[in-house]
Amino acid sequence: MSTTAAESVGAERPAPAIPALEAVGIGKAFAGVTVLHGVDLAVFPGEIHALMGENGAGKSTLMKILAGIHTDYDGTVAVDGVPRRFAGVRDAEEAGIGIIHQELNLVPGMTVAENIFLGREPLRGGIFVDGPALRAAAARLIRRLGIAIDPDARVASLRVGEQQLVEIAKALSLDTRILIMDEPTSALSPAECTTLFAVVRQLARDGVAVVYISHRMDEVMDLADRVTILRDGRPVATAPIAALTRERIIAHMVGRELAAASHPAGRDAAGPPVLSVRDLSLEVPGRRGGWRRVLDGVGFDLHPGEILGIGGLLGAGRTEILETIFGSARGRRGGTVSIDGTPVAIDGPIAAKRHGLALVTEDRKVTGLLLGASIRDNLALPSLPLLSRLGIRLFRREAALARGTIGRLGVRCTGPQQPAGRLSGGNQQKVVIGKWLATAPRVLLLDEPTRGIDVGAKKEIYDLVFALAGQGIAILLVSSELPELLLLADRILVMCEGRQTGLLSRAEASQEAIMHLATARTPTRSAEIAS
Amino acid sequence: MTLLRLLSRTKLYWGLLVILLIGVAFSPVTGSGKNIFLSYGNLTDVLRQVSITGLAAVGMTVVILIAGIDLSVGSVMAFGTVLTATLLTQAGWTSAAGVGVPAAIAVAFVAAFLLVRFVGRGLRRTAGPVGARHRAAADPLRDGWVPGAAGLALAALVALWLVPQVDTKFGVPALLVAVPCAGLMVGAVSGAIIVAGRLQPFIVTLAMMVGMLGLSRLTAGQDSAVLPVYAGTNATEDIELLRSMLWGVLPVPGLFFLAAVAVFAVLLRLTVFGRYVYAIGGNEEAARLSGIPVDRVKIAAYAFSGMLSTLAGILYVAQYRQGKPDAGAGLELDAIAAVVIGGTSLMGGRGALAGTLVGVLIFGLLSNILQLHNINSNLQLVFKGAIIIVTVLLQERNLADLLAPFRTARAARRDPAARSEAPGQQGSSLIHREGTQP
Repeated sequence: MSTTAAESVGAERPAPAIPALEAVGIGKAFAGVTVLHGVDLAVFPGEIHALMGENGAGKSTLMKILAGIHTDYDGTVAVDGVPRRFAGVRDAEEAGIGIIHQELNLVPGMTVAENIFLGREPLRGGIFVDGPALRAAAARLIRRLGIAIDPDARVASLRVGEQQLVEIAKALSLDTRILIMDEPTSALSPAECTTLFAVVRQLARDGVAVVYISHRMDEVMDLADRVTILRDGRPVATAPIAALTRERIIAHMVGRELAAASHPAGRDAAGPPVLSVRDLSLEVPGRRGGWRRVLDGVGFDLHPGEILGIGGLLGAGRTEILETIFGSARGRRGGTVSIDGTPVAIDGPIAAKRHGLALVTEDRKVTGLLLGASIRDNLALPSLPLLSRLGIRLFRREAALARGTIGRLGVRCTGPQQPAGRLSGGNQQKVVIGKWLATAPRVLLLDEPTRGIDVGAKKEIYDLVFALAGQGIAILLVSSELPELLLLADRILVMCEGRQTGLLSRAEASQEAIMHLATARTPTRSAEIAS
Repeated sequence: MTLLRLLSRTKLYWGLLVILLIGVAFSPVTGSGKNIFLSYGNLTDVLRQVSITGLAAVGMTVVILIAGIDLSVGSVMAFGTVLTATLLTQAGWTSAAGVGVPAAIAVAFVAAFLLVRFVGRGLRRTAGPVGARHRAAADPLRDGWVPGAAGLALAALVALWLVPQVDTKFGVPALLVAVPCAGLMVGAVSGAIIVAGRLQPFIVTLAMMVGMLGLSRLTAGQDSAVLPVYAGTNATEDIELLRSMLWGVLPVPGLFFLAAVAVFAVLLRLTVFGRYVYAIGGNEEAARLSGIPVDRVKIAAYAFSGMLSTLAGILYVAQYRQGKPDAGAGLELDAIAAVVIGGTSLMGGRGALAGTLVGVLIFGLLSNILQLHNINSNLQLVFKGAIIIVTVLLQERNLADLLAPFRTARAARRDPAARSEAPGQQGSSLIHREGTQP
């Protein structure tokens, strides 16, 4: 391996001499920006090889080259020792390379079996799809994965974790011997992750070479045999997982040692609650008419300067709590929301803003930002009426706000005029938080504030959250990552299937306690399989 | 490199220049050797001809910027011509007066109400510090009786002014108030249906296009009738004013068009409303979640479009001396084409009125050049279609992209080893496509 050879101890395991997939000296530039530079990667049959790095380190680009999506690159790729140059995705598939993208590529309206064999359906008489053969083949694959999914179920009716498994089945149906997985767990609940890991391990035992890209340190420590770390498009280290610690990996990824954020001690939430929620409920139109209750009987108090975490599995109604309080949830809302002890009717974001609420949504690209607009325009958007006079924009005030926010939150950018879409995930998140801070909110609703953000930026977001709480802003925080929840929250409200199953103090809270409450009611199907 | 970037940014204007040069170069010449295309009379004629399409295109720009579309501008324009012609030539409570006068009164009420409330809020807001605005006490100026009273007052004034004119024939100032107000109402109805029903603007305005054609015919009173307008005989003399040359310099329709461009350019660039328009077009859900009054802005956009269309209708009557229920056939397509040529994205959120102005002018100059050469009018349509494709193609591609093949070849000849790096690096400052980064 190239740069820091100290840790490139090579494979200790009795690996076969020929790697299933070997990439040597891969380089790639987009529009003059070099994103990969002399990257080497060797994956052996039966090995789970983690690929790590911050956002923009070049992981996804490397994977796209290996999967034949990018065909214009430097260096060589060899499969089973034979140098190959893929002309396209089909070519790579035929060589036995399958890729599972972060975004799922399934047709929601079709069944599991149809999706698995999309474009390669077994035919009868050359024209008609052979339904029974299709289902049988799909069932065989699913059985091989050791999971319980109905081949006839529509993909739209499956949960994200199950859809992920369908993607794996689809990749396997191509006789894949090298499976590339790009952040497969980013949308999965812990139980779904466990199922996925079991499947991945099973595949490795069957001799499949797995390249596993992930941000989540726990997963990698748990799952991988070896790790390759990229930074700024260059390989920093390749080593067996046993030779590395969590801290070393982070240091390699970030390029410096990172102090862990810690919960500031002795901060008491004093005074009367700023936000009181009683008996909150939400009903959405069900699939077969009627109303389906997705939120029921949620109640809590939120004090100034307090960080209240909301935990639970995917679909437990965590996001819905925030949306219902903010008034942006579609459906029938029930219960009372009080600000400073006075019940208020919040029927939408406009009213919410007037009452000093701010919502940072889960998906900053889809619902948080105007990606084409400048940082300044994004930051000024919610507070424009305050920044203007009689409807005329005052550009000087907007610029001052932008400069101030960029400086205060440490947004790394070329200037206030840079389009928000060209920022990294962490900086985008700071812009979204910053635009709400300009409205001087009293309650900040944060939905997965660190999703898809790399390690270094995560810590900055944590520090920011603590700082805001320190200024007396009450924070309601939803997170799927338990360590994050435990680090940030003063108290943790745990949801299970739309109901509140517990409210843990900081002393009581632990990963086990949260998971116990999060699965308190009927255990989910994939959780059963996993155990 | 910066020169190329400058060229790339301003290519729209270069297109206009190219059309102008073509026009000059191939223009027929008078006996005394004067260039007809370049003559002042010809150029002002172009401006006069484009102003009807141009007004519709201004409204269309606002609607397209919020990622909508307004197919009803042609029908609404025709409705405007029918209202105008009827109000000009027939005294008494015709159906046109029955539409125009109440519309003007209603719009006057709403406008005064909103304006006073808005100004009241603005004054109040600048008074206090930013953080101290929660639970503001009730304020008569803001939400009490003052806006309502102002609305009633203005509505009464408008009624006092318009109702007596019904018994005679409408003068031009009264027309210029009543007819656009009717258009504003029509547009607002389209917008309200789109917002309230969460419907596709394409469908709603298509329905409005059909419905308004019928309503125009009903208002005209006869099927596909032409309502002739003769200044001085069956109409008031001053309608002539709307097609004359102002101070012998600028054709009045062109003045209306340019004024609309200026007013709406200011509205889009410098006001909060304009920022909201771009925000909604850029990402409607993000805008809604930012606490922006998305619904009101959308309704306003369609209302403006309707208003400008009926204004175009008045100019049409002045120009062609008739009101016609099917006058606006195809206008919506011309307007959309002009907006798109001007570089405004049909996906919303990107574009500007300057582009629309250029798009309208390119279209107008092209027609003019073809007319000067006496080219078959059907062939003119073919040319128009081709020019839409070509300009949009140029709009979508970056100049650097278009030149990229040449540059790569040149770089390769110079230094084969640097092939993979060099062209990309040269292009890096130019290519602004999203999503090229991993």
